[in-house]
Amino acid sequence: MKENSSQPLVTMKGICKSFPGVVANDCVDLELYGGEVLALLGENGAGKSTLMNILCGLYRPDSGEIEIRGQRVHIASPNDAQKLGIGMVHQNFKLVDSMTVLENIILGMKDQGFIPDMKKIRKKVLELSETYSLKVDADASIWQLSVGEQQRVEILKLLYRKAEILILDEPTAVLTPQESEELSKIIHRMRSEGKSAIFITHKMEEVMTFSDQVMVLRKGKVVAELPTAATSPKELARLMVGREVLFEIEKKPFSPGPAILELEKVCAQDDRGLAALKNINLNVRAGEIVGIAGVAGNGQRELAEVITGLRKVTSGSVKIGGKDLTNAKPLQVIKAGVAHVPQDRSQVGAVGDMSVASNLVMKEYRKKPLSTGALLFPSRISAFAKRLIEAFRISTPSTETRVKFLSGGNVQKTILAREITACRNLLIAVYPSRGLDVGATEAVRRQLVSQRDQGLGVLFVSEDIDELEQLADTIAVMFEGSIMAVLPGGSADVETLGLLMAGVQPSNSCDRSNS
Amino acid sequence: MKKLVLGLLAFAMVFAMVSPIVAQAKKPLKIAFVYIGPPGDMGWTYEQERGRLAIQKAFGNKIETKYIENVPEGPDAERVIRQYATAGFDMIFTTSFGYMDPTVAVAKDFPNVIFEHCSGYKTADNMATYFGRIEEARYLTGIIAGRMTKSNVIGYVAAFPIPEVVRGINGFTLGVRSVNPKAQVKVVWTNTWYDPVKEREAAVALLDSGADIIAQHQDTTEPQKAAQERGKYSIGYDSDMGKFVGDSVLASATWNWETYLTKTIQDALDGKWKTHAYWGGLKDNVVQLSSISSKVPASVQSEVEAAKKKILGGWSIFTGPIKDQNGKVVYAAGQVIPDDKQSAMDWFVEGVVGKVQ
Amino acid sequence: MKMVFEKRKNVSIGAQFLVPIISFLISLLLSGIMLAVFGSNPFTTFAAMFKGAFGSMNGFSETLVKAIPLMLTGLGVALAFKLKFWNIGAEGQLTMGGVATAWVALFWGNGIQGPLLLVVALLAGCVSGALWAGIPAFLKTRLKVDETLVTLMLNYVAILFSEYLYYGPWRDPKGYGFPGSAPFPENAWLPRIAGRAHAGLFFAIALALILWIVLRRTRWGFEISIIGASPKAARYQGISVERTIMLTMLVSGALSGLAGACEVTGISHRLQQGLSLGYGNTAIIIAWMSQLNPLAVPFVSLIMAGIMVGGDQVQLMMGLPSAVGTVIQGLILFPMLAGSLFTEYRVRWIKADRKPVCVEGGA
Repeated sequence: MKENSSQPLVTMKGICKSFPGVVANDCVDLELYGGEVLALLGENGAGKSTLMNILCGLYRPDSGEIEIRGQRVHIASPNDAQKLGIGMVHQNFKLVDSMTVLENIILGMKDQGFIPDMKKIRKKVLELSETYSLKVDADASIWQLSVGEQQRVEILKLLYRKAEILILDEPTAVLTPQESEELSKIIHRMRSEGKSAIFITHKMEEVMTFSDQVMVLRKGKVVAELPTAATSPKELARLMVGREVLFEIEKKPFSPGPAILELEKVCAQDDRGLAALKNINLNVRAGEIVGIAGVAGNGQRELAEVITGLRKVTSGSVKIGGKDLTNAKPLQVIKAGVAHVPQDRSQVGAVGDMSVASNLVMKEYRKKPLSTGALLFPSRISAFAKRLIEAFRISTPSTETRVKFLSGGNVQKTILAREITACRNLLIAVYPSRGLDVGATEAVRRQLVSQRDQGLGVLFVSEDIDELEQLADTIAVMFEGSIMAVLPGGSADVETLGLLMAGVQPSNSCDRSNS
Repeated sequence: MKKLVLGLLAFAMVFAMVSPIVAQAKKPLKIAFVYIGPPGDMGWTYEQERGRLAIQKAFGNKIETKYIENVPEGPDAERVIRQYATAGFDMIFTTSFGYMDPTVAVAKDFPNVIFEHCSGYKTADNMATYFGRIEEARYLTGIIAGRMTKSNVIGYVAAFPIPEVVRGINGFTLGVRSVNPKAQVKVVWTNTWYDPVKEREAAVALLDSGADIIAQHQDTTEPQKAAQERGKYSIGYDSDMGKFVGDSVLASATWNWETYLTKTIQDALDGKWKTHAYWGGLKDNVVQLSSISSKVPASVQSEVEAAKKKILGGWSIFTGPIKDQNGKVVYAAGQVIPDDKQSAMDWFVEGVVGKVQ
Repeated sequence: MKMVFEKRKNVSIGAQFLVPIISFLISLLLSGIMLAVFGSNPFTTFAAMFKGAFGSMNGFSETLVKAIPLMLTGLGVALAFKLKFWNIGAEGQLTMGGVATAWVALFWGNGIQGPLLLVVALLAGCVSGALWAGIPAFLKTRLKVDETLVTLMLNYVAILFSEYLYYGPWRDPKGYGFPGSAPFPENAWLPRIAGRAHAGLFFAIALALILWIVLRRTRWGFEISIIGASPKAARYQGISVERTIMLTMLVSGALSGLAGACEVTGISHRLQQGLSLGYGNTAIIIAWMSQLNPLAVPFVSLIMAGIMVGGDQVQLMMGLPSAVGTVIQGLILFPMLAGSLFTEYRVRWIKADRKPVCVEGGA
């Protein structure tokens, strides 16, 4: 459709941006035409987000020019970007937890008057959410929403502000296949109205289904720009990583041992006091990867927390290695050999304000040789950290670098390194590859499989059906706190899993008992 | 009066020969004053500052004076006093009761510096104490209050339950009861010398409980103003508070430090200074009765005048019969409370409502 | 032009030293202007201030007298702040420390002979301060009551309680009714080292060192750092957040309690008004200026005490009103606090075309 306007909608010319020690964008050129969907593909730290943050006014480029509809502009703030019709959905949502959906939608808008007319706003928001099938409770507070719902609020917010250029930072990471489908419908509708979208991703399938044009970034530079129709996932992966990528991971044949984790009729509540887990029965055996499929916010987080002692069960029992650890303290569970890669990396899994070394020893510091009695040994801690950094290929300037300065993939590798080192029995990994690039995802998956191959139990929560199919020996689908079905890995097709994730019991229902 | 001073001078001259404290005549005598409040309190510190300005004027370049205001009582006062002593001051006046122990402590370490503490009872070779019998003036204001009250309840905003204040309350009450045996003096303690807000609050509480005249032992004019705002009379203290507040202030019992300061500084200049415990009264001019408000009828004024003459004539206001709060006669007719009992007074006379806590 | 603050990724060594120096020069400039306005020569005044605080043994010992309680409360506050536990109750903890110490010194003198009385009195001060700090910690960990309010309100409770004691039951019977307890027996006096500066200085320095080591080199210190950075992460790592908060607050309160204990046994030798001259509140500024580093606390406290003691010289020697001295203290502090912003952030000036679309030959 770009034939109907010869002039680009957005032109970025020679954009350079560096942070202390890093060149994030090195002379990047970008053109976006009206009605075009552009995929921005690249590994973590390739400079995709930086480029888009420049376009939406959060960062200022060190050099380079931006033209919108042929006119040169200075975008000094997100407000300026908004006036130009540019809106961005960030990977970490910019929502105020304690405020409602409606309040968040109008937050920061200056033309609402001192007392906004909430009735009018509500009507308009409901219209928009109807049109684009963005279902969300307008009066719920943000903290009550799942990550998926929060993303919908972000998109609604942009639509409400009449965005014409929608920038989406890894939009499908939190959506079910059905929801992704919905999103692609929204994008198609926007395209047919002459609006444009840029979306940041590292998933090949999305590039192939969503985009007209694809631009690949590596280490801050554009390595290729080509029409989607003229390329293949394999080629894109190679361009992105700079080498051939193996999509298949070798696994030993499945031969499960005794049960490591036994959940019996587990019920628990979420932070709001509503039932989050309803009579969950689930076993994880030695040498088995049990994949939990489901849309975010259907009880997966609570499931992990109940097992690790971070959340109380209201009824039912949790046994680990045959020992009853129902409502045990987190430390008892850790001592029982359970490791946990949590959903929330920046607040729970890692401590951004502390060093890589500190983060790496947060489980082991209690033991010799890192400590004796009350005393810690910094030199031993540093040596331990160096060993892990090497073993897990964590890319960090030093052991003393604060974790918040690492890329998302390296933060996750830091968490994994620590947890896997501490793991003796069971590894619980919640969305371990979410937001990671191809290289890092591959590394994470390999680690999960190697744990399994060593005879440990792995409980693996994911929304990525391909990933589940590839890794899990057994798949359990969760919906609204219940387990919809337990299927052997590789036996279910995407369609069936997608329906189960959406709460629909397919007619040709599979065997629901654990094999 | 003059004779007394001359006599003292002569007496001091003899001691100058042996006194360890010999001031150099050439260099100005460096004198420091430590104040509890700001000179702008229009009360206690205002009068101290008036004294300082008066001596500075009188002695000219023979002395050099400095002062520090708002020094809290307690351990930190010692630091301030010590700083003055360290900085080479020859004579340091500490002008609040709570400075007594800090002054003693510093005096011990600086034997060549003269310390003068106002209103206390401890002395040393280089530390004197000075004060006045303000209760004599208070007795006279009590006569006015006793005559002017209609509710027969007089409120008294008082700082600390220490002998100095208790004496004042008793002297005032004796004055009130000398003309109006039905009247009562209600006491409220604020536990502060200088706190405009607390002082006002206490006065308001007294007015609310039926008092129609407010007297005070506080440093600021706030209680006086509180009474005025309610259309009630008041009795001032420290300075002639009528000047600042208006004719609702019927009269004030005031301080006048100039005479004493002039004498003791002259002694120091002459190298004749010697430790002492000064306790002057109306006849020594260190305490005074201010001008009386025009609201007070002439008959009452002459009654006051008569009492004043009596005191100047040597009569003590603490002459029996004096009853305590239980109505028991503690000093029989004609008996005078001796000075040592006065300086440790910890009980109220009949007519006072309140407790020495 | 528009000014934008950007957080620095790394604080350069240059900025760390240069910023305080420049801040200090700005302080001098500002207060110099104010002094000139009041008709006083800024140079002689600054010289007098410095001389008053550090220039003589006497002045320096008085600076130390003020610095000691600031050090101890500053350490207590810094420790609590490490946990992001907003203990603004050092004033109350100090007061309760003084009260308990006075209790032992006044009433246990018959049972405990010799210097043991001093030791027991100081320990009682620590315990009392600790328990007083334990109240908000308990309420926070058990009932999720906000600690800021509780610690603040408990300050008033503590101060009023101590007033009740020295105005009431503990008032010196030989004190002619003036508020204040009887003096302590001499075996409950903390030895003095120079002027009025007392042995509390050694406690403060030793504790600063110990705390520094504890925070850097022990499991407990490591756990405090994790909880301070993210309580959720700490819980996930199996750390008992509640127990650590409780324990840390007890130590924090004990430090402030010791400050009070040293004040009564080292300076006033009795319980009376003026026990704390806002030390516990100044401690908050000290903790921040030290960036919660225990080793920095003694130095910052010394500077702060110097400013306080030197500030009095403005009145003492230059004859300016006391308010001028206070304003100068503020003028010195303010740029230094503002300066810490510049070590954390850098300022960038950007062209602000307030119109987002700026036509430059396009269209």
